[in-house]
This record gives sequence, structure tokens and C-alpha cells, in this order.
Amino acid sequence: MRATAAALVALALVAAGCGSSSAKQQGRILVVVDAPFSQSPYIGNTIANGARLAADQLTARGITTGGTTYKVRVLRLDNALSPSRAVANVRRALREHATAILTDGTGVDATWRLAEKQNVPIGITYQGGGALVNPETRPNVFRIAPTDHGLAFRLAEYLVPKGLKIGLLTDDSDYGQEGRAALDDAFRTLPKAVAVRITLPSSAGDLAPQALEARRSGATALLVWARPAVLAKTIAAARSAGWRVPVYTTPAGEDPVVRQQLADHPSWVDGLTFASGRMTAELGPAPWSTFEAAYEAAFGATSVGVKSLGRRVIAPPDYAMYSYDFVNVLAAAVQSAAGTDAAKVLAALNQVSTRGANGDERGFNERNHEGVVDDDVYFARFRDMIFRPVGDDPLSSTLPVISQVR
Amino acid sequence: MNTPAVAAIRTGAALREALASARETWTETATAGGVIVAVALLAPLVLGGLIATDTLASGAYLALAATGLALCVGLAGVPSLAQGAFVGTGAFAAAHLLRHTQLPAEMCALIGALTAAGLGTAAGFAVRSLDAVRVAVGTWLLTWLVALALGVLPWLSGGAQGLVVPTRRLFGFSPTPLVHYELAVVLTGLCALAFVALRRGPFGLDLAAAAQHRGAAAALGVPMERLRVGAFAASAFVGGLAGGFVVQLDIVADPTAYGPLLSFELLVAVLVGGAAAALGPSAGVVVLGMIALAARALGALAGVSGSRFQPMLEALLLLAVLTTGGSALVPAVSTAARRFLPRRRSRARPTAASSPKRRELLRGEGLAKHFGAIPAVDGVSLELAPGSITALVGPNGSGKTTLLRLLSGALPPDQGRIELGSRDVTTATPTQRVRLGLVRTLQTRSYFGELTVLEHALVGTNRTRRHGGAIRTIVSTPLYRAENRVAEAHALAALEAVGLAADASRPVSELTGAEQQRLMIAAALATNPAVLLLDEPSAGAGSADLDRLEAILLRLKADGLAMLLVEHNLRLLRAVADEILELELGRVVRHARNVRL
Repeated sequence: MRATAAALVALALVAAGCGSSSAKQQGRILVVVDAPFSQSPYIGNTIANGARLAADQLTARGITTGGTTYKVRVLRLDNALSPSRAVANVRRALREHATAILTDGTGVDATWRLAEKQNVPIGITYQGGGALVNPETRPNVFRIAPTDHGLAFRLAEYLVPKGLKIGLLTDDSDYGQEGRAALDDAFRTLPKAVAVRITLPSSAGDLAPQALEARRSGATALLVWARPAVLAKTIAAARSAGWRVPVYTTPAGEDPVVRQQLADHPSWVDGLTFASGRMTAELGPAPWSTFEAAYEAAFGATSVGVKSLGRRVIAPPDYAMYSYDFVNVLAAAVQSAAGTDAAKVLAALNQVSTRGANGDERGFNERNHEGVVDDDVYFARFRDMIFRPVGDDPLSSTLPVISQVR
Repeated sequence: MNTPAVAAIRTGAALREALASARETWTETATAGGVIVAVALLAPLVLGGLIATDTLASGAYLALAATGLALCVGLAGVPSLAQGAFVGTGAFAAAHLLRHTQLPAEMCALIGALTAAGLGTAAGFAVRSLDAVRVAVGTWLLTWLVALALGVLPWLSGGAQGLVVPTRRLFGFSPTPLVHYELAVVLTGLCALAFVALRRGPFGLDLAAAAQHRGAAAALGVPMERLRVGAFAASAFVGGLAGGFVVQLDIVADPTAYGPLLSFELLVAVLVGGAAAALGPSAGVVVLGMIALAARALGALAGVSGSRFQPMLEALLLLAVLTTGGSALVPAVSTAARRFLPRRRSRARPTAASSPKRRELLRGEGLAKHFGAIPAVDGVSLELAPGSITALVGPNGSGKTTLLRLLSGALPPDQGRIELGSRDVTTATPTQRVRLGLVRTLQTRSYFGELTVLEHALVGTNRTRRHGGAIRTIVSTPLYRAENRVAEAHALAALEAVGLAADASRPVSELTGAEQQRLMIAAALATNPAVLLLDEPSAGAGSADLDRLEAILLRLKADGLAMLLVEHNLRLLRAVADEILELELGRVVRHARNVRL
């Protein structure tokens, strides 16, 4: 009888012990990346890799809050630049109880409302129109990336004092049309600075007629807001006609496609200047270097496919930095909310901030859902297939050169 | 008895009669179709865990658009590549209405469908007389035009973000993906039913005839161009309806979603599933869904997005179906299933009954036709009296067939006048002439090989119908059904007149050459003509066939029909002709009455 009682007590203790160890619950933070993997793989993979790097680091480090340890998982869904596909992806994300949705911005006008019903935040981590983000009307939409508005105004601010007569060239894609609107806004009060406005047909094999039209207009600089392939064709059209006009552009300029298409004429790329979000902050290049090293260790360096002075050129993962930062801000919000309750996480996103991959402070508040301020837009110029910050812009001139050869 | 009571009794009787008619025409295929639709309605319950309901609903709307396309491809035999453009037109029209008006969601979709039907009518009109290849190219260009317009007109398309549409209740329900799915299945089922009704009715028979032999259909007065425009409009309406609803499911009108790829996918679905089968397009859409899964698996293996493989796999499938000559999915399954099912007892046919005879004199005066400087017919005058046979003879190239074409309206005369009875029909179209009682058979053996003998004859009776329009056919009104019975009786009478009544259910392709020649005469007789123009009806006939043909012609003459007979067979001419006109270089060189050659 005693032996039986002892055995029962022992069993009860074992059971109690099991219970105490299983009290440490496992949770999941699901980040759905809704990006154009099939149509713009460079953009899609950049966003997904940044998110994945942050997820892996957070999971390895362990996020424990409210008695639960969370793993961060990333699910990639292709939106093919189609708003309706984006809607389908967001529906799937909601079915799978995603904690947040990361996107390049495709279809956000339609998807934010679906996500808002379940208090799921949408993080835009690619350049886009200013109207996408509005904390008052779209409380669940956030962005960590330069805006079209910021790029256009910084470009105007940079170019107009040079006394240039600018040819504004935008392509007929949605990207170009949105850029045209942003540029019109930025140059509205500076009509004398604009020599001509030309729409570039994306499907045209040769843009020589448009380049000639710009030249005849008396333009002394071209500001091209177009998809990378069209930008490359525009440069080729100008240079092959012997026109050494300076060309300025958006982050499309750093897309590997441009350099690949002009690889036969490396000198044509020389002087191409683009605006983008800065990769390094006041803290110096150390945080960026750490991030870049971790990125390359995880995914390898993104080869551009060209060489500079005999060395392989790589593309710095600057846009991956934004998705990386958003996932980190999200994890901070989960910790602040003590769990993945959607409403609490959404509210916490307005409260928390983290140190970003470039050393900048990343965070949002109730009145501002833009994680990159317009003043963070810098300019870089190509030479020998790699780019360096320009010296004639106050912000850019303070930035270090990021190594782009391996 | 008071009026409401009388109306109630009449309505009850009409419903009973409609039910009996439906029961009579019900087949095993219809049962299978009903079961499939019922199962489809329950699919979200079964597949809910595997496939998301919004994905199912998108697929169901795709099936609706594909079924609409089958009205063009399956019924009219026209390979339209514009269905994606019609879906897009419906989607954007509905999206703009939803954004800028307070109209109910269903009304917006309906107006979207009507807008698409307008575009479909214009497209159909543009390609109404083109051959299949040119139709495919023309409609492909239209699809590109619409896609490009959406790309360059952000005010129309909403630009990169598309047009976000507000959600409204749908038939009183909250517009969840499940409600959209059930609605799409019901609409697809109704569209499939309409397809079946049209295929069996005068509209479908005329379209099938036009698709199988344009010349023969034209000779019987089939208004091919008008029918083709109608098929395009109907197809576009259904596509636009799918677009008008799918845009509410997607909550955005997406300018990238209605491009050439969608048109291509819809055509693939129709051809793979079976263009002539009501549920073929839906089956094709299911196959496309499986291809998407296969593409995703391939993409995972290759480390790229599966959507890159999808169009390639679809093209390969289409190529396989087209090049191997394999049957489409639903017809193949249907054929296989029939082997295991008991043969269905054929339904009772109405008794053959001739239509009231029309007796008219045909008079041609001073008819002339030149091809360039060459006179094919040069000042020919003739009279065809009721109950007479006039033979038209002459060497090859003398203008016999051209004269027949002038009389039938296939060619307009340069000079001269043609009167049928008291009516001047010189400028009347072939269709109008057939309706007035002037019909022609062709020189070569021209028949609709995929129809049955009775259906072939029914193409002729269609010209005598007043209640056989597409809407009446779909709704199957009492008048339509009553006229159906009469048309069938007249068609049987025409077949009886040429000795083919016993072969009514046989496929035309199984008939002998001589039987096919007689079937052409039967189809012409089914139009209830007063004047029959026969172009070498004895071509290829053996001795026994010639005897039979002779007897038929004499009987028709005795019935009071006026006939013009272009014929080389002297034995037949001797036996039947009352008058002889001999042509040479387009002129009448001899005219003999009451002669025996």
C-alpha cells in the first residue's frame, strides 16, 4: 500500500515537472512578404532577404515575452506587380494569422482595408507614392523607404541651384507615371528650370527620337524617372548620339539591370547620378558594415554581373535594410505588446523604435508612419561601374564610400 | 370564370407542358451536369482546408467567362482571343459605377456586362466576315488595345494601384468570398444551360451550319454575319458579367489582370475542356488550376516563381490537344461514359407535316454580270412558272452558275431586275430571298457534316420561324416550343419528300454521296420555297440514284414548285424539264419550250 502511494506521489511529481517545463510556450510571428518575385525579382528578393535575415537573427536570439518564446517565420508570396494578386496574398496572410505584411507597395490602396479589419500592420519597404501612407486614414500602413515626394523634392533641391535646364523624362509605366506626378509637384514653382517633359515608351527598342527631342529643347541635364531597362535605353540613346549630357535618376539607377545593359560601354554609365536612401548614418559605416556582412553571410553578395577595374561588382543590400529594420521594429512591438495580439501590436508599433541597420533610429508614432525622412535621401554618382556619394550635396558629402567590389 | 382564375389555369397548363417538354428532352448528360453543379456548390465545404474560398471564387468567375467564350468558339466556331478584354471592360465599367454611384452591386455588374456586350458587338461587327485566322489576329489586337489603354490611361485604370472598389451587399448578402463563389457557380450553371438551349435551338444550328460550311449555310439563307455579331455580343456580355462581379471579389479593378494572357488562358480552357460541351470550359478551368499547381511545383524546384512556368505549360497543353487531334476533356469523358450507359430511347418525333404551299412566279429581266471586262451573264431574261422545271444548259463557263447566284442573291447583278411574284427582289439579300421563297442548292456537295440529318433539314426551317430568337430559345417560351414542333414536322416532311425520313437521327457524315445530295434538296425544301434553284443535283449519282432524283423532281413539280435546273445529265433533263435555256458566253442562245431532248 505504501509502495503504491509512493509510486503515485512519484508519478504526480513527474507529471508536475512535465507541466512546469511545458508552461514555456512557443509562439510564432509570421511575416508575409508580398512582393513582385516574378516580375521584379531583384526587388522581391531584396525585401524578402532583409526580412529573413532579421527573422533568423531574432529567432536565434529569442524573443520571449508574456511567458512565450516566439520564432519569426517569413512567408514569400508573389504579387507579380498586380493589385488583385496582392489582395489574394493579403487574404491568405490573414487566413494564416500573419503578424505583419511586408510589401513593395503593390495594391496597398486595396489591401490596407482588409488588413485593418484584423488590425494587421502593412509595412511598405520600397520607394513609392506619398498617398499610400497616412496615419489618420490608414492607421495600419507604415513605410520604411524613401517616398516619391522626398526623392523628387531632393532632386529639385539638388539640381535647380546648378542652373541646369532640365529635361524631365518619365516612362509610361506606372512607376514613371507616379514619378511624373511627383516631379510636377516638385518643379511646380520652378518652371524655368524645366526645358521639356517627355514620356518614354517602355516598349520602344530605341529611344533616340526622345533623346533628340530633349537635346533640341536645349536641356543641359536629363532627369529620368523610369524603370531600369528604360533608363539604360535612354542613356544609350543619348551617349550613342555623342551627347554627354549629365543624367540624374531615382534608385532605379543602382539596379543591376542598368549596368548589365550598358556593360559594353562602361563609360556611358560614368556620371550617372541617382537619389536614394542613405546607407550610413551619423554613427558612421560600422552598423551598415555589420548588417552587410551578416546579409552576405546569409545570402551571398548580390553580383551585378559587371566588373570594375577587373574586380567583381556587387550591389549593396540597401533596400534589404528597410525590410530588415521593419521586422526588428515589429519584434519590438510584439515585446512591448507582450504577445501577438493584433490590436496591441498595431498600437505598439506607434510607440517603439529600434536601431536600424544603418544606425538610424527606426520607429513610428501616431502622426508619422514614415520611417525614412525626406532629408535622408542622398545622391551617388557612378564611376567605373561603382557609385560614390557626391561631393556637392551637404548630406551626401558626409557619407562614406561603401565598398562594392569583391 | 374570372380573369385571374383563367390566367392561373393557363399558367399551370403552360408550366405542366414546359415540365413535360423538359422531361422529354432530359438526358443522362443533363443529369451528370446537374450533379456536377450541385457538387461544385458544396466544394468550399470539402476543399475549404485545401483551397481558399477566394481562390475558388476567382476560378468560378473564370469558368463563367470561359463558358461565355464558348458561345463564340463552341457555337460559332470563331476563335476569339478578346474575352479577356471583355472581362476587363465589364470589370472597369462596374468599378467606376461602384466608385461614383450608389447603384446596387448587381446593377453595376449588369451595366458592366452591357458595356462589354457593346464592345463585343463592335468587335463582332469588325470581324463578321473574316476567316478564323483573321478573327484570332483581330481579336488578339483588340485585347492588346484594351490592355494598352488601361496602361496609358491612369484615370481609367487607377494606375499601378488599380481602382479600389467599395464593397456592397450582393443579393442581400454580405459579399464574402463564399457568397461570390456560390453566385459564380450559379451563374456558370445558368450560362451552361443557356449554352445547351442555344446549341439545340435555331441560333445554335444556324451557327453550327455557318461554321461547318459557309457556302451551304448562305444558300439556305443563314444570316451568318448577324449571327456572328450576336455570338460575340453574347460572349462579351457573359465575360463582362464575370468581370463586373470578380472586381467586387477582388475589391480592386486591376489593370494588369485583364491582358492578353487572360484571353489566352480562357481560350485554352475552352479548347482543352471542350468548346462544344456546356461544362467543357469549366472543366478546362479546373485543368488550368492543376497546371498552376504543377507550375508552382516546378517553380519551387527551379527556385523561381511558379507563375513563370504557367503560361508555358498552358501553351504546351494547348499544343498537345491541337497537334495530336485528341478530344477535349469533356467530350472524351462523355464518349467513354456512353459506352457504359444504356442506350437512351430516342424521343418521340412529331408526325411529318408539310408547310402550306407557296406558289410564285420568278421573273428575271435583262440580267447582266461582268467580271472585269468579261461578261459572265449578258442580258438574260427568264421566267420560272409554278409547277414547271426549266433546264439551264451550256458548256462550262457559259454563265449558268453565275445566273443562279444572281437569282439567289449571292451576287448583285450589274443590270436587270428580278421579281418574285409581285415583289422586286433585285436588291434583296439571300436571307430575305429565302424567307420570300427563293432558295438555291450548291453545285458541289455541300453539307453540315457534324449535324444529324434532321438537324441539317432544321437549318432550312429556321428561315420560316418567327419565334426562334436567342432569348426565346434560352427561356424556352411556349410559343418557341410550339414552333419547334411545327419546324420539326416540316423538316421531317422535307426529308420524307427526298426519302430520308428514316435517317433523321443519323449523322450526315454517314450518308452516301447521293443521299447527301438529296439532303441538300431537303434542307432547301424545308425553307418552304416557291422557287427552287438546283445546281447539278445529279453530280456523282448512280443509275438508281438518278431514278430516285427524277421521281423527287417530278413530285415537286406536281406539287407546284417552280424549279431551275442546271444539269449536264441529259437523261434527267429529258425526263423532267419543261423548258430548256441554253447559255453560251453568258447569253441565251436557245430557248425551247415543251420539248423532249
